[in-house]
Amino acid sequence: MNAVVFDVALTAYMIAAAAALGSLFGRREDLARFATLLTAAGWLCHTAAIVLRGVEMRRAPVLTLAEVVSVVIWVAVLLGLWIERRYGITIFGAFFLPVILALGLGLPTGLRDLAFEPQSQSGWALVHVALIMVGLAALVLNFGSALMYVVQERQIKGKHTGTFYYGLPSLDTLDHLTLVTLTVGFPFLTVGLLLGLVQAGRSWANLLAGDPLALFSLLMWTVYAATLSGRAVGRWRGRRAAYFAIAGFCVLLATLGAGALFHGRHGS
Amino acid sequence: MIDTLFVAGLSHRTAPLDVREQLALEADKLREVLADLAGSGVCSELMVLSTCNRVEVYGVADVAGEARDAAFRRMGAQKGMDLRALEPLLYTATGADAVRHAFRVAASLDSMVLGEPQILGQVKDAFALAQTCRTLGPTLHALMSQAFAVAKRVRTDTEIGRYAVSVSFAAVELARKIFGSLRGKAVLLIGAGEMGELAARHLQDQGTLPIYVANRTWGRAQELARDLAGTAVRYEDATSVMAEVDIVITSTAAQEPIVRAAEVRAVMRARHARPLFFVDIAVPRNVEAAVNDLDNVYCYDVDDLRLVVESNMRERQREAQRGEQLVEREVARFVERLKDLDVVPTIVSLREKLEDIRRAEVARALGRLPGADDATKEALEALSQGIVNKVLHAPTVKLRDSSRAGHGRRWIEVISELFGLGPKAPGS
Repeated sequence: MNAVVFDVALTAYMIAAAAALGSLFGRREDLARFATLLTAAGWLCHTAAIVLRGVEMRRAPVLTLAEVVSVVIWVAVLLGLWIERRYGITIFGAFFLPVILALGLGLPTGLRDLAFEPQSQSGWALVHVALIMVGLAALVLNFGSALMYVVQERQIKGKHTGTFYYGLPSLDTLDHLTLVTLTVGFPFLTVGLLLGLVQAGRSWANLLAGDPLALFSLLMWTVYAATLSGRAVGRWRGRRAAYFAIAGFCVLLATLGAGALFHGRHGS
Repeated sequence: MIDTLFVAGLSHRTAPLDVREQLALEADKLREVLADLAGSGVCSELMVLSTCNRVEVYGVADVAGEARDAAFRRMGAQKGMDLRALEPLLYTATGADAVRHAFRVAASLDSMVLGEPQILGQVKDAFALAQTCRTLGPTLHALMSQAFAVAKRVRTDTEIGRYAVSVSFAAVELARKIFGSLRGKAVLLIGAGEMGELAARHLQDQGTLPIYVANRTWGRAQELARDLAGTAVRYEDATSVMAEVDIVITSTAAQEPIVRAAEVRAVMRARHARPLFFVDIAVPRNVEAAVNDLDNVYCYDVDDLRLVVESNMRERQREAQRGEQLVEREVARFVERLKDLDVVPTIVSLREKLEDIRRAEVARALGRLPGADDATKEALEALSQGIVNKVLHAPTVKLRDSSRAGHGRRWIEVISELFGLGPKAPGS
């Protein structure tokens, strides 16, 4: 049952993504509104799917990689909708929905039921996972806004006043958005990873050697930490910060990939 | 009514500027023209729109061509222009085409600069003038009220007026694409060119503050700073001021670039990479081209801004097409409404006629029944009213239907004849 409801939600996201892209390229305000409504409807379905899964499995629905990705998407969509409203960027969906779909669909079916080790089912492990998920969701949006920044910056710098020039918000707004999503996501990621480290220190002897997921997570954290400190010093602004956000997201994808492909201590 | 509606005139599409200039009349003269034409009886309703881009007569007349000739003969006579010279420049539209034309003009879809906002005000003025001269009737009244509504919808539902179509406004628009809100952004104006000053004023309208003015001549800098309520700075200090401002406008007559990439690079370090926008309005350019290659620095010269304006014009054309669709729908709706309006006077007078007869007959009957009680009187009233309504039903429906089908006029005549409704023609 939960799988069916989830598929409905995913389909809604897919149509919404298509509508949002259509609104971006065709510059149609009505399509953007439709996309937002559909995204919100999809999100409600998605909420139901997650709850149903927990009820049907009689456990927290965040113990397999597929479940984690699902919740990351759930948080990201919620944040994305909030940003659309808060900043009045009606076409934000065109930038984060495709990323979210790539995440949701990119997971090979065989790996969907990949479960974490039984010991990770303790309470603290759940907090660890939950915090990281919120962090990742914000970073997905960080990537979306960085992408918008790079596109708009190229338009203005290159003096091409094309479709994107008219459709995208100002560079200032986009830069601000990239900063906001990073400052929201990073603390969650940091605390989440730290919790993981603490538990690993207790239950596993040598952490990084045997666990690619942990290794990549640390690398990802380093990239984001560097971006944030670069910004704090006041040197990395605009395009450079956006490139780092994109690089960080690539490592994030690699991290999820590592979690899926290698059999480390996180999973079997 | 719809068949007798017409518009005739000339515009930037058909007539050269000197003809338009000569024919454009001020309000006083227009008042005379309106009074004369209304007095001549060639048209039952009349309104004249006279701007530097178009001179048009909107009216209701049995023979549109006759009214058109009379109007332009009269207007041409003011400036000694012969009707024969004007004739090839004139266009005429009647019925639904006239409605479409009125809507398109008011919505600025027929303007030289698509989407320019002045035309709606000019149409409103023309309407008000005709109103004070009492040359409007129900048709023009309905047409123009609807034209104003359509114009407003086109403006709000499309983005036809959204993007700048002048170089100095394009600079403001770009600044907003970079900085978002311009409130509190500081501006440095180097040089005293007219275009530079204009751009600075547009920026000030958006809330930029403060403004610094630099000029090779210290006195000129002070003068301009006073005009713009800004601060004059020494020409040699311009580069150091750049570290403090967000937008730099250059419009000096220098033959060599006065802003070099190397300087700007140093400035950017000092301002912690906060974005800097150069608007270079000077020809030849004041800002070295390589400046645009620096991170977080954007530099637009006059040619770049012109390209933006061209692209904005294309945007307006795109939006205009949406406006045209909107107008098309509104024309169809209005024509329907007007056709209904056509038969309304006939229906009203038919009803009045029957009502008169009914009242007279009831009074007569009651005269013959001196002892009638209230119940009897009421029964008589109800009986007579019932008969009148039943009799009215078929002709009313027939009138409305035939008018929608386009042959209302014939039935208006038939029914007027049959019921002896008198010479009261529609629209009068």
